[in-house]
Amino acid sequence: MEYDIIEEVNELAASGGTLEERLERVARLFALKFHFDECLFFLAGEGGALKLAASSSGLCTTGVLSYGNGEGLPAVAIEKGVLVEAHKGPRGAEWEGVPDRGLEGVSTALVYPLGGKGASFGVVYLKSRERTKLPLVKKQLLKVAAIQAALMVRNAALIEDHRKAHSELLEIQARLASSEKLLALGDMAATMAHEIRNPLLSIGGYAARLKRQLPPGSPGLVYLDKMSHEIGRIEKIMNGIIRFLKDNLVELKPDDLNGIVDEALNVFADEFSAHGIAVERRSRHAPLPVLADREQMKIAFDNIIANAIQSMEKGGALKVVTSRSGDFAVAEVSDTGGGIDPKHIGYIFNPFFTTKKHGTGLGLPIANSIITRHRGGIEVRNEGRGASFTIKLPYSGAARPGADVPPVEAGRAV
Amino acid sequence: MKKRILVVDDEEGLRLLYKEELEDEGWDVDLAASGEESLERLEKDSIDLVLLDIKMPGMDGVEVLRRVKEKWKDLPVILCTAYPHYKHDFGTWASDAYITKSSDLTELKQTIKEILGKKR
Repeated sequence: MEYDIIEEVNELAASGGTLEERLERVARLFALKFHFDECLFFLAGEGGALKLAASSSGLCTTGVLSYGNGEGLPAVAIEKGVLVEAHKGPRGAEWEGVPDRGLEGVSTALVYPLGGKGASFGVVYLKSRERTKLPLVKKQLLKVAAIQAALMVRNAALIEDHRKAHSELLEIQARLASSEKLLALGDMAATMAHEIRNPLLSIGGYAARLKRQLPPGSPGLVYLDKMSHEIGRIEKIMNGIIRFLKDNLVELKPDDLNGIVDEALNVFADEFSAHGIAVERRSRHAPLPVLADREQMKIAFDNIIANAIQSMEKGGALKVVTSRSGDFAVAEVSDTGGGIDPKHIGYIFNPFFTTKKHGTGLGLPIANSIITRHRGGIEVRNEGRGASFTIKLPYSGAARPGADVPPVEAGRAV
Repeated sequence: MKKRILVVDDEEGLRLLYKEELEDEGWDVDLAASGEESLERLEKDSIDLVLLDIKMPGMDGVEVLRRVKEKWKDLPVILCTAYPHYKHDFGTWASDAYITKSSDLTELKQTIKEILGKKR
């Protein structure tokens, strides 16, 4: 008896190398032990098509490289879950009405599915130019050996899955570690900002006092002016850093996005008129229930609106539209300030990125981080004559069909 | 009679700055370097307004504010902080005003004037 083939398949399964290499050795073993000219393994790929994975004659086989879904003898074997034994004349490519390109020039073919019936993921395909009939015992042996090979393939897939999951975990771990580092760095920066801030205020304050004490026209006044100006700049940056780093906690309460937006807009009423900016405010749905930390969200909108105003210092139009879109309450803030240079658009939410002469580069990153902490998102695109920011927060109202939301068209000028 | 302001800040440089600047405006100024010290001063002296830093070692400004408002309900307190945007929120809560710490003291002086003016 040749039961030792089982042991040999097992040994090959446990040997090193890629699945393809081991499968090729198994194919050679099958061809040798069962006296066939060629042994092929086809494995299911995406969409269920069978692809040649290994061949006893190497992968440079001239035969069929793949079988479509439901094609040829492999389909018969898989569908029935049985060993298909085909005998035919030396010409033609058909067996009992089933066309199979792999039968070209073959007299005997054996096809057996890998994996149980209904769960097959491939076939082993043996070909012989001779007309032979495999004895029943050998057929049984072939089946058992094929099951061993199938197990090997299964295990390889499992190991591959594990390897993938493991490398994903490692990646996540690395990301966590780096975010922990960032947090520590953030704490340090916030402490530094606080520590620098107080002495800085003293310096600035005394500079201002000194300025008042100097007689008008004294040359020192120019230097003190410069000092005050520069101190003001550092103060602004410090404030930004402190806000960016320390306002990490959001306290979510039921709120209305329309109300938040309106309140943020009201703060800028004077600036809108000072810069000649026409404001158009529309709410397509009201109310727009969201869970929000109102103060924080106002900071986010303050920064977005301030950014829009800065782009329209010589006048323009600001359009703010709120609406519900699926699971989100959405606010769209569009300006006519010329838009964002496409080569900068990917960076505008990065801390300290700014194209403005006196910008801190923290306004939009702060907005972004606040909105993200609300499990929302912010996107920007150039549209029309300016930039358009889309702010999305999870809609927190009762789940109702969209049609139930009463549409409200309330345009008004601020 | 001159109004008396109590300045509470752990930074000596800032305390002196506030003192000089506020005295120039015609107010009397008392200084306290900590929350604890400020409460002692309030027990002893007659104070018309407290200028209170939030971030201090030991008893912080929020705690001082709570105790002041428990005991001297009508004593105006101005909170100083690095977080400008909590202004509205805190203001309506317990303090009488909320000031962002800045080397430019214009806003602070204006606020003190408004609050002390209102009282009479």
